[in-house]
Amino acid sequence: MSERLASARAATAHQREWFADLRAGRSDGGHFAFVNADAPHEILRTMGIPYVVNQWWASILTAKGRTQDCLALLRERGYPDYIEQYSAIALAALFDPDPGSAPWGGLPRPSIVIGETSGDASRKIFDVWSEQPDITFYPMESAAANDVPVRWWELMPRRWEEAVGTDRLDLMVGELRGLIRFLELTTGRPFRETRFREVMALANEQQEWNRRSRDLIARARPCPLAVTDSIPSVMVPQWHRGTTWARDAARAFHDEVAERVSAGASVCADERARLMWIGRGLWFDLDFYRRFQDSHGAVFVWSMYLAIAADGYLRYGDDPLRALAARFAAFSDQLYTPPWSAEWYVKEARQHGVDGVVHLVSDDPRGSYFTTRALEAAGIPVLELHADNVDSRETDEASITRTVAEWLDHVVLPGD
Amino acid sequence: MSTSALAELTAHATDRMAEARRWRAAGRQVVGYVGADTPVELLTAAGMLPVRLGGAPDGDSREGDRYLGRGLDPAARSLLSRLLAGDYGHLDGLVVSRDCEASSRLFYALRELRRIEPSVGLPPVHLVDVLHLPHHTTTRYVQAMLRQLRGTLEAWAGHEITDDEVGAAIGAHDRLRTRLAELAEARRARPARLTGTRMLSVLAATQTLPVERATELVEKLLAEVPSLREVHGRRTFLTGSGHDTVDVYSALEAAGLLIVGEDHDWGELPQRHRVGAPTELALAERYQHNGPTAPRASIRDRAAHTATAARACAAEVLLSYVRVHDDAPPWDFPAQRATTGLPAALLERQPYGALTEDAMKTVAMLRDGQEVRA
Repeated sequence: MSERLASARAATAHQREWFADLRAGRSDGGHFAFVNADAPHEILRTMGIPYVVNQWWASILTAKGRTQDCLALLRERGYPDYIEQYSAIALAALFDPDPGSAPWGGLPRPSIVIGETSGDASRKIFDVWSEQPDITFYPMESAAANDVPVRWWELMPRRWEEAVGTDRLDLMVGELRGLIRFLELTTGRPFRETRFREVMALANEQQEWNRRSRDLIARARPCPLAVTDSIPSVMVPQWHRGTTWARDAARAFHDEVAERVSAGASVCADERARLMWIGRGLWFDLDFYRRFQDSHGAVFVWSMYLAIAADGYLRYGDDPLRALAARFAAFSDQLYTPPWSAEWYVKEARQHGVDGVVHLVSDDPRGSYFTTRALEAAGIPVLELHADNVDSRETDEASITRTVAEWLDHVVLPGD
Repeated sequence: MSTSALAELTAHATDRMAEARRWRAAGRQVVGYVGADTPVELLTAAGMLPVRLGGAPDGDSREGDRYLGRGLDPAARSLLSRLLAGDYGHLDGLVVSRDCEASSRLFYALRELRRIEPSVGLPPVHLVDVLHLPHHTTTRYVQAMLRQLRGTLEAWAGHEITDDEVGAAIGAHDRLRTRLAELAEARRARPARLTGTRMLSVLAATQTLPVERATELVEKLLAEVPSLREVHGRRTFLTGSGHDTVDVYSALEAAGLLIVGEDHDWGELPQRHRVGAPTELALAERYQHNGPTAPRASIRDRAAHTATAARACAAEVLLSYVRVHDDAPPWDFPAQRATTGLPAALLERQPYGALTEDAMKTVAMLRDGQEVRA
């Protein structure tokens, strides 16, 4: 078994240090934003406003076993504990009588929260944040298209106007201008376009490194690293997108992957099945991803975190604000809306030569039929696992392990 | 003896495709639509009959479950099942608004099914992306979306839709909304003569009829209301999920509640806003500021509206009925309860078109004026 990646260890250490600095810096009452993953972080980066990403913090809470405590706090306040748990559990920071007991010393209290008005519950969750007198919610529109070209990943880096559509981009540019003005007035910090251009360039460089890393891993046999390593190596820098540290971290990750590939390193000595994990990370059971290596030689070679970094973020163009609009005007469509999502997963499955797909289907409206159907139509076996990625109440660990093992025995590796 | 307007409207609520069958038989186009964010004025202007589509709680929803998954509002799953089963008859087109996440997902499923399984034979479908933040940039976007829809309808109709036709349709639908607002006022009177169930039926019927005919019938009904029998029950303001059938209203009123007002989009809520001017811009602004609905409005706006509307109809209690996988209303409830100040209850995760036994016990407590805490 291979050693944990140095880049993963470095990313996690950096995040801890950064978070501690953030907590220390909050004592002077400066502005701090709490934002959804699909908010335009680059604006905050440009203006030097520190921010924490809702979904990252949820993954930390869950990995530290705090989800049920958080959900109980929501329930006590009369809010549902069964809807969009991934986006909602961080709210518990508002109601926790002992906030310092939360992981990493607890989430500092934000002054600004930013999220899209997507879904039915997302904006409500941010509404609850903004019921606190010292927290302001800046909601952003989330538009949808009647008709889209299918192969978005070929268009997005430079021909994003074709992929996203002019009306949606016009709207999102308006939203970004509104956000900039709001932040200028609220924080007193200027938005400098020269700095913004640097941030956009760094973000693109970072994703180019991620693209190279994805391509290396797709070609490598055997798989040189565990997805549980690639997730922090990609996602911690993703949340620091637009900094030199993040760009360099993505390059360090790439170089480490390249070294491993050259050395013929493998995460599983006897690799017999290459698996793809579709869906959010199973944060309450990260050991799941390596559980089938010894028993079946089955290795998870793919998660969306590196792949979407490789394909989903690159946006070039002379007008950086419109390019940023193109990054976020249709971001979740890339992952969750057919035909984009379904066709992209098939493209990725083929590129990585996977033998099977484990598809996490949560009890939410994102739907799964068209993704599963497209993969099966491409001749790739799919196992749908019905579970929530942060809330383990409805999930029996032994049962999902057995289900996957049986599927590997009977479908993916029947002759073994 | 001539049929009363109430009987005729109730019949149309029961058989919602009756008028559509007549239109089709006369060689005219029928377009189904999903969600109250659909600008029906444009469909009327195109010479089409707009028919709002609803689900059937007692129907077979397996096909909808298959394509949409079971994590989505069952009303949308039922609607897709009915479309696939051909329950609505031939439709010349289908317009889906983004009034909630379930409608968005329904659209994506329809679009993808038409792409990958064309043999299913679904009608052409168009998404009208009406958004609601109160910003000028949103108005411009909604206006662009209305223009896009107009272009699609022109293609389906095979002729241009003129500005005069749009203006006339806006006037016609505004007249209907005015009459329905008068009916809502009559519903709120004491003693009451219109049950919530009847009102919901009337509102549903008007969304299946040509606008002029709907207006005539509502005007006739307004004249009939004073002669209707008095009805009694605990005056209840209903919030939470939308109701595309009368099943839940009937069960609640049979249990002793009288639903005197509601804030979901199959009820009185969409009648609040008129277009006012015969222009595309006014139409865009009207739909942008539609609501406030649970899936699209802020907790604060919802609570303020619920409190005002509950007061206006002299409600004695507040009831939030929430269907399983309808994700917005439970977040609204704490603020709605606090703002209205009425005895209140939240019925969460209810089956489509029905109430659980526990929910009915809660309803009985509320009927008796008891505050119900979760």
